[in-house]
Amino acid sequence: MKVILLKDNFKKGLSIVEKIVGKNLNLPILNNVLIAAEKNFLGLSTTDLEIAIRYWILVKTEEEGKITIPAKLLSSLVNFISDEKITLEIKNQILQIQHKENINQINGLSSEEFPIIPKIERKNSIEVNSIPFCQGLAQVIDFCAQTQIRPEISGIYFNIQKDKISLAATDSFRLAEKIILFGKQIIENQESSFILPQKAARELINIFSAGDQKIKIFFSNNQVMFEYPLTEVDHPQVQVISRLIDGQYPNYIEIIPTKYETEIVVQKEEFLNQIKAASLFSGKTNEIQIKTNIKKEGIEILSQNTDIGENKSFMPCKIEGKEAVISFNYRFLIDGLINMKSQEINLLLSGEEGPAVLKPIGDATYTYVVMPIKK
Amino acid sequence: MNEEEIWQSVLAQIQFHISPANFATWFKNTSVLSRKDGLVLISVPNNFSKEWMENKYNKLILEIIKSLDQGVREIKYITGSHNQKTKEMAPSPIAVLVEPEQLEFQELQVDKDTNLNPRYGFDNFIVGPFNELPFAAAMAITKSPGSVYNPLFVYGGVGLGKTHLLQAIGNQIIKDLPDKRIKYLSSEKLTSSIVNAIKNRAIDSLKNLYKTIDVLIVDDIQFLAGKEKTQEEFFHIFNALYEKNKQIILSSDRPPKAIPALEERLKSRFEGGMIADISFPDYETRLAILKTKAQEKGISVSDEIIEYIAVNIQRNVRELEGALNRLSAHQKMTGKTINLAITQALLKNIIKNPTKITSFKKIIKTVAEFYDLKEEEILCDSRKKEIVKPRQIAMFLLRTELKNSFPFIGRKFRGKDHTTAIYSCNKVSIEVEKNENFAGEIELIKQRIYNI
Repeated sequence: MKVILLKDNFKKGLSIVEKIVGKNLNLPILNNVLIAAEKNFLGLSTTDLEIAIRYWILVKTEEEGKITIPAKLLSSLVNFISDEKITLEIKNQILQIQHKENINQINGLSSEEFPIIPKIERKNSIEVNSIPFCQGLAQVIDFCAQTQIRPEISGIYFNIQKDKISLAATDSFRLAEKIILFGKQIIENQESSFILPQKAARELINIFSAGDQKIKIFFSNNQVMFEYPLTEVDHPQVQVISRLIDGQYPNYIEIIPTKYETEIVVQKEEFLNQIKAASLFSGKTNEIQIKTNIKKEGIEILSQNTDIGENKSFMPCKIEGKEAVISFNYRFLIDGLINMKSQEINLLLSGEEGPAVLKPIGDATYTYVVMPIKK
Repeated sequence: MNEEEIWQSVLAQIQFHISPANFATWFKNTSVLSRKDGLVLISVPNNFSKEWMENKYNKLILEIIKSLDQGVREIKYITGSHNQKTKEMAPSPIAVLVEPEQLEFQELQVDKDTNLNPRYGFDNFIVGPFNELPFAAAMAITKSPGSVYNPLFVYGGVGLGKTHLLQAIGNQIIKDLPDKRIKYLSSEKLTSSIVNAIKNRAIDSLKNLYKTIDVLIVDDIQFLAGKEKTQEEFFHIFNALYEKNKQIILSSDRPPKAIPALEERLKSRFEGGMIADISFPDYETRLAILKTKAQEKGISVSDEIIEYIAVNIQRNVRELEGALNRLSAHQKMTGKTINLAITQALLKNIIKNPTKITSFKKIIKTVAEFYDLKEEEILCDSRKKEIVKPRQIAMFLLRTELKNSFPFIGRKFRGKDHTTAIYSCNKVSIEVEKNENFAGEIELIKQRIYNI
């Protein structure tokens, strides 16, 4: 193999594919990146056997060929290169990197040993804009269950309907739902759904947040692929392929209450600050209490800890319905609030042991449900 | 040689041909799914394994299998957890150790097909004289659903374990007879699914769906009152299941006869099987419940405290549990062991004074609600049977609970004579003596009066 390419392209590609490369002691080849020159492209591939990332760079190919090279080493080296043009050449399982008068040689492993990245049927697919897609994912990603006891809720649920995608995640204490609307039909067949592992979703956000092109999503029974195009030519630039979580996602819609006992409208920033202040006094259980006062038109936020002291604050807001006294883990409230962009939010309560709902006012696409602490 | 042995022997031979790292990576969680007509299906955990097997090891595996079974010509690889053992290990209800105070979404525990919550089982269901009959009926049903006591109708007050019993029946049947199809529904869910089906014009497919069920459990059936269309559709489903000897289990807070605005034909069908009531737990049972619950929650409380709670909370199992929760929260917060004085202070609000407080308005309102009437209707002059009876009960309760004088009661009911009030009270109290069902009804109304 012999190719000539631009350093910046190489550096960007390596930085994207190296993210899933860890220290795999069992199968050392997983620490490597597969470099393959074919026609006018240099392909980079990495995998951890759950996720695979492939990246293509437009290059001048003088001779085709492939090899695998330790990914972290190569990426660190390329960071120190200041020249624009690099020549890569394979000689007997050794990759030679040349720029001007500098030559580095890295020992590689045969590409024959590298896992074969699974192919995916191109039958079912949809197209989404990368920016709203990544923003939506980011709003739910933190709420996946961290346990493997119930694998089906350890990922993000994608439910693709006629003209929208619903994303949902829950760890059984809280639940976040984001609806991405398209305003047009995106899928011909019936509804489809799948559960994406949280780790894959993180990679998607890392990789695709910056771009503003369309991402194509291909999905089958046990796999999904996210593909991002090259701007210059008709060829993919990045592909992220992930396994899907096997299992049935719970019917989460039933968790979101439809009737409420108390409906409160609060200023988001002030509410967030008050909760943070109260959190300082909440002690080990993270418990803070919210108490409505319909007569004074406001809510009190209380917390106390025998060792430190106590917090008692009042903030005016609009309240309708019954008076309520309800306790929460303050972390759970903050986690939900920081994902909301609006000035005002709705806090909807259904009794002191029923689920509470947070919603940004003016944005019906995001819903956050949290269970209180038992009194 | 069966499938498992073949695969073991393949694995045993393959480990000599490839490196241990490769062996561990690619052959973990693999197995032979089937072997038929020369085709062997192999289950692999993911698509990476699939590609790798197909492209790198297929020849080797085929050679080894052929040496064991000459008939094999082809191997196919399938991804998925077709026979992963871990799947069968349902999350055990006790194993989850989180901070007890943080509440969870109950909906997530619920099985998607049957709607049953695995938390409810017979092992944590406490039997006493108050619920012996429904329990015995339940046990009989789990042995042979559909053939005895069909339908089973369980009724009793709030927080006495109706839902627990119903769900435990379902869970037990799943365990013993896994091929039975079970569906648990609250009557609210039943109504909304029927309404949706009507909206989407899919009522036939809904009916067909229900007709394939072997055990149908509907909780809180009294909420069907007044919902005519739902009653009609439920009637058809009920008949279809009943004719095929499928088990039907229902619960309500009152006997079928006392459910207002319920069609006669449904009432008579509900009464056609076994009607069993759950009454209030006696003192000994309350002690047993408290001790079991305390053990479950891992709190240590002395017998003296348990006795105190059992004496003072009499009518509701849920309240017993609530009292224990309070103690456990207090213990965690302060770290002190709990003594009787603390218990008394903590439970002051739950434990009602012997002199219960109620009012004229509350009694009228509760009686009216119980019989699905308007408050004015009870107070008016109508001589309709369905109004006369509730009116007499209201007068009786005013007399017994509030100790109102007969002339006062008479005046409140549009200036009726005090003799009317006396007659009503006597009639009701005689009926209570004679008729056990009627006494139960009065007891339920009383419970509601004091629960609001």
